[in-house]
Parts: sequence; structure tokens; C-alpha cells
Amino acid sequence: MTNRRAVFAGTIVLTVLALATVARADTISYADAVSLLANDCGSDIRKYCKGLNLGSGRIQSCLEQNEGKVSPACTVTLANVITSIRQRQAAQSSFATICKHDIAQYCKSVKGEGNVLSCLNKATRVNEGQCGQAIIDAGWR
Amino acid sequence: MKRIQFKALLTIGLMLSAGEGAAQQISDMQLVRTLGRVENAAPAIDVALLVEEATASAGKGVANLPNWQKLSKLSQLILDIEFENDSVAIEPKSYRTVGLIADALHHPNLRRYKFLVVGHTSSTGDAQHNLKLSAQRANAITEALSTTFAIAPDRLYSIGVGEEWPLDAANLKAPENRRVQLINLGLVQ
Repeated sequence: MTNRRAVFAGTIVLTVLALATVARADTISYADAVSLLANDCGSDIRKYCKGLNLGSGRIQSCLEQNEGKVSPACTVTLANVITSIRQRQAAQSSFATICKHDIAQYCKSVKGEGNVLSCLNKATRVNEGQCGQAIIDAGWR
Repeated sequence: MKRIQFKALLTIGLMLSAGEGAAQQISDMQLVRTLGRVENAAPAIDVALLVEEATASAGKGVANLPNWQKLSKLSQLILDIEFENDSVAIEPKSYRTVGLIADALHHPNLRRYKFLVVGHTSSTGDAQHNLKLSAQRANAITEALSTTFAIAPDRLYSIGVGEEWPLDAANLKAPENRRVQLINLGLVQ
């Protein structure tokens, strides 16, 4: 019994680790995210969401309303795509905060966000740190 | 591998192959670079005036109208975005192109700029209907950009010009006249 419990606990630890790894995985571009949606949900969208557009969550709610009819692969992909877009947005909006220190240290005199980004991308120290990871997650390197 | 074709623009011919991984990065960056080439002398554009001019001269073309002529001087590119027949619904195969625009517009090099989406049709169908449909389609693109992809709405403008500004003036029904123009309007005030 103790052993079984230990195995069970071990499984939980592994699962949590696996989930943490998934959450930490590199984000994907908006283009890649919606390409997945088009690939896995394209035929369902044409069938059940005729005339509806991508904006304002219309395709999402249409696919959700027709959950019983759309392919299981599409249902999974839809959830993943929404998460991917959210992760990329979060990464892009946290860039300024996460990189604040590095910007002050390495790119103080640089003007303009685009120039600041190129400056950061050239600084080796930045690449190895948290700010470097934030730039990768934002899709800007 | 999916291919998305960006047609030639003025002297800049862009043929992008939007694939996976590294190729994808290059495509995003090509968009960023093309749209980011901003001349200091770029003219200011009043979108309301464009609408006024286009409406007043429907059926006569817009290429020679003063405010429309200014547009040619701005950084821009031409995209293919397919819609369902006679509808504002973007075809799933064109979602990627809208996503690519979102990637480019969120990039720090372009985040300070506002953009105009211009919808064009070929001459198939009624001119007034084409004018209206192209405006609704251009608006559908900016709506997707500002909601699904969270581009600030004050950076986005849309306008439809129907069949009034053909790429191929000798062949008004040619499919390449159906297109979307994405134009950098300059800094957000």
C-alpha cells in the first residue's frame, strides 16, 4: 500500500513536472497558431460556421456551440490555439517589464522600442537571462 | 508546405514562402522590414477624405484623385486574403496571412505606427456592390486584427475601393485585381 502510494505520488510529481514543462515551452507565432486552426478546423468552419468571421470570437463560439458535431481534433486544436495566442500576447506585453533592468544597463541611450530591441539582441548577457527568454517568447528574435 | 503569395509592389517584389520554423521568422521579418521603411517626407493621410473622394467618383476610378495618389508614396505591401463568395468571412486558408500581419504589427519596429487596410475587387459584379463589399471585407480584416490578435484599434483603419483601382487596368476582371493593400500611415499621434 505504501509502495503504491509512493508510486502514485511519483506519478503526480512527474505529471506536474510535465505540465510545468508544457507551460514553459516556447510560444508560437500568431500565424502558426491560426494555421493550426485552419488545418484542423477548416472543414468544420466551412460546414458549421459559414459566413462567420475570425474576429470578435465568432469562429470560437461557433465551434464551441457545435462541439458535438465538429471533429475531436478540431476541439483540441481550438483550445490549444486560444492558449497559444494568449501566451504570445502575455509574452509580448511583459517584455518591457521583464527587460527593464537590462534596458537600463545595456541600452540606456537607445531611443525607440525597435532600436532598444536590436540593442538587447546584441548583448550576450541579455540573451542568457530572463530578458532574453522574454524576447524569444515574444517572437522577436 | 503552405505558400502565401505577396504580389509585387512598386519596385519591391516580395515573394514570401510562409513555411515552418526559420522560414516563418524570415517571412514575419520581411513584412516588418517592408512596412518599416518610412520616408521622412511621407504625406499625412486623412482616411475620411479618401472615403469622400472614392464615393464621389464611384465608377470613374480613384488612381488619379489627389488623396488616393498620396497613398502610393507610403510603405505598403499587397496581400492575398481569400473570402467566402459574396461574404465577409475570411477563408480558413487565409487565416495565416492575417496572423502574419498580426505578428508584424506587434513587432517593436512597427508598434508605433498605424495602418490602413484597403480592400479591392475585380470588376465582376455590380460596381456599387463591389465598393460596399470591399469596405466590409477590409473592415473584417481590421476587426480580426483588433480582437483575435489584440492590435490596438486606434492603429487600424479600413477602407473599400471596390473595382476603382485595378492593378491590371487592361483586364478589369482579372483575379489579381482582387487584393488587400496594407499601408503604413505613419506614427500614432
